[in-house]
Amino acid sequence: MGAPRLSRRTFLQAVTAGVAAGPFVWTPARAQGFTWKRFQGKELFLLLTKHPFIEVLEKHIPEFESLSGMKVKWETLPEIQARQKMTVEMTANSGGIDAFFTSLHVEKKRFWKAGWYHPLNKFLADASLTSPEFDWNDFTPGARAGVTQPDGSISALAAFVDANVFFYRKDLFGAKGLTPPKTLAELEPLVKKLHAPPATYGIVLRGLKNANATQYPSILFPMGGTYLKDGKAALDSKEQAAALEMYTSLLRQYGPPGVVNFNWYECSASFMQGQVAIYMDGVNFASQFEDAAKSKVVGKVGYAVLPSGPGGHFSPIYITGMAVSSQSTSKEAAYLFTQWATSKTNMVRELMAGVGVGRSSTWDSAEVKAKPKMPADWYQAYQASLKIGRQGLPEIVGVTEYRDIIGVAIQKGIEGAPAAQVLAQAQKDFQDLLNRTEG
Amino acid sequence: MSLGRHAHRHAQWLFPAPAVLLVAVIIVYPIVYTGWMSLQEWFASSLTRPRFIGLANYGKILLGDPRFREAVVRTLYFTLIAVAAETLLGVAMALLFNREFWGRGLLRTLAILPMVATPTAIALVFVMMYHPTLGVANYLVTTLGLAPFRWTYSSSTALYALALVDVWQWTPLIMLIALAGLASLPREPYEAAHLDGATARQAFWHITLPLLRPTLVVAILFRAIDALKTFDIIFVMTQGGPANATETINLLLFNQAFSYFNMGYAASMAVALFAIVLGSSLILIKVRRSTAW
Repeated sequence: MGAPRLSRRTFLQAVTAGVAAGPFVWTPARAQGFTWKRFQGKELFLLLTKHPFIEVLEKHIPEFESLSGMKVKWETLPEIQARQKMTVEMTANSGGIDAFFTSLHVEKKRFWKAGWYHPLNKFLADASLTSPEFDWNDFTPGARAGVTQPDGSISALAAFVDANVFFYRKDLFGAKGLTPPKTLAELEPLVKKLHAPPATYGIVLRGLKNANATQYPSILFPMGGTYLKDGKAALDSKEQAAALEMYTSLLRQYGPPGVVNFNWYECSASFMQGQVAIYMDGVNFASQFEDAAKSKVVGKVGYAVLPSGPGGHFSPIYITGMAVSSQSTSKEAAYLFTQWATSKTNMVRELMAGVGVGRSSTWDSAEVKAKPKMPADWYQAYQASLKIGRQGLPEIVGVTEYRDIIGVAIQKGIEGAPAAQVLAQAQKDFQDLLNRTEG
Repeated sequence: MSLGRHAHRHAQWLFPAPAVLLVAVIIVYPIVYTGWMSLQEWFASSLTRPRFIGLANYGKILLGDPRFREAVVRTLYFTLIAVAAETLLGVAMALLFNREFWGRGLLRTLAILPMVATPTAIALVFVMMYHPTLGVANYLVTTLGLAPFRWTYSSSTALYALALVDVWQWTPLIMLIALAGLASLPREPYEAAHLDGATARQAFWHITLPLLRPTLVVAILFRAIDALKTFDIIFVMTQGGPANATETINLLLFNQAFSYFNMGYAASMAVALFAIVLGSSLILIKVRRSTAW
């Protein structure tokens, strides 16, 4: 016979295969179309961190539950405790965490090397898992770089993006006919003019070790300094010495007494008490300045982009994100949550509450523009800073240890030690750290 | 019935077994594990396993790490000044409260209140009080006509400012123990001394103090062990700063373990701290034995 003979056996095989493949082959729309309800009935556990972003997010989690039909349980801990819990759970391989909030500026490389982030590249490319509205390219380049590892794997979806900006007292500046500095060279003369202790101190920046390491790049980057050169420590460069000298001498000469141990808490307290004319720190502290219950300077604070310098114009940025745990047994379901948490709708809500996000579209959203929570120059300074954003800390495993190393150098500088000397020690310790943990 | 007889015969093993097991699980195991961990290099990651490196961590502690050596000296110094001040003040307060006067019960209760409070809460209150420009401490100091201090906000005064918090909180403990000691002293030696014409001061130096010494050594032992291990107030108030001016062994090993994730190295520091605490306790116990009567 010329025609292929259809045996009973092959016929049955074909039918079985067809039935098994049925839902996928015959109704492609159902397989490839995105639906939030795909993992209906599942239960997720999240490890979250106390953070303004999370405060806003938590209120809307029930909305995600009804959208997806999943049940979400979560625990919110202070940042350091959350990191400890994360470490314990993950090293014990417990699999109890499905998704977590991650401070990428501290954890990015360590958690990546430890293998705790589930790479999201495939999920993002999968139209059946990623909503058509999500739009990865809506995230600013700085935010995208902040969640991407050296090997190209995407470890998290950017949530909150903090940027360092320049806070100043409009009333004090106005009285002397001054304007915010465009360059670092203009900064010191300006601070000097405003310095009138004990009523007003010229400037405040974080002095406390570790905490100061996030503010130091506000001067280091425009000076042209970097943390690493060709993978080696670069703390002994000329630019570093100039930057550390400027940071510490400003505080030594024009800072409030005791500034050497000031964390953001003490810095913003003295600024809100009206004791300080200029303060550079994370843009999000501003919401307290405009809170009449806490602040004596409501309506008197101006917001500007940081001054530029010989090395260029930068704003150090710090990114947190929502990540999927590599040990989760429901990674795809967890991904739906991270996607929802960083969706356009949620990011608009965050921005409306005064929490800055790394999605371009939200800043121009009509909702935000109609009901601004903060003064107009705050939005301008923030948005402009995101455009010149650069990751504020070195992307290495031992971020915390680095922060202590440079932090101690800065504190010794504030107390009068020469910049070159403290940086020589810091360089040695930093290279030692890199030898131990990188490579 | 053989099971019952069996149990009966081995009762001396059977009955303490639950207690022994509990001690093994919650005391012996962690100590042994810490000791074992101190011989490893491990960065608390699930990809790289601990690597056995023998005594290398201890070599680094003893010879290669100035930060650790400074922390040891600082820990001992902090303990010395805090416990010395507490002992002097505590004994003075005990002598005061050992007398009869109106309102003694109320004042004694008030005096022991600091001991009851949570160290972390106290530390947070002191942070606010120590603030150089906004705090009440400098307000009080300046109303006395003194120049304001930097308290915990300068590396030259921070350790003393922390010791002051420790003294404020723990002097009452020494006072309580000393008070109990005073109450148990026999009356006869005082009567004899009085008949012999001894002054109150002579009675204190030659009778009260020698008789009280064993009690005081115990009080000092308790406080010294605690002061060597002080963590909460330092962590909350200065986190070891400014620079490393208040970084004691406990702070350093906490940072090594939970900030830098150098678990093995931190474990070796924990063992070293354990040895220091044990060593100082043995010395104090020996002092007590030699002065016992």
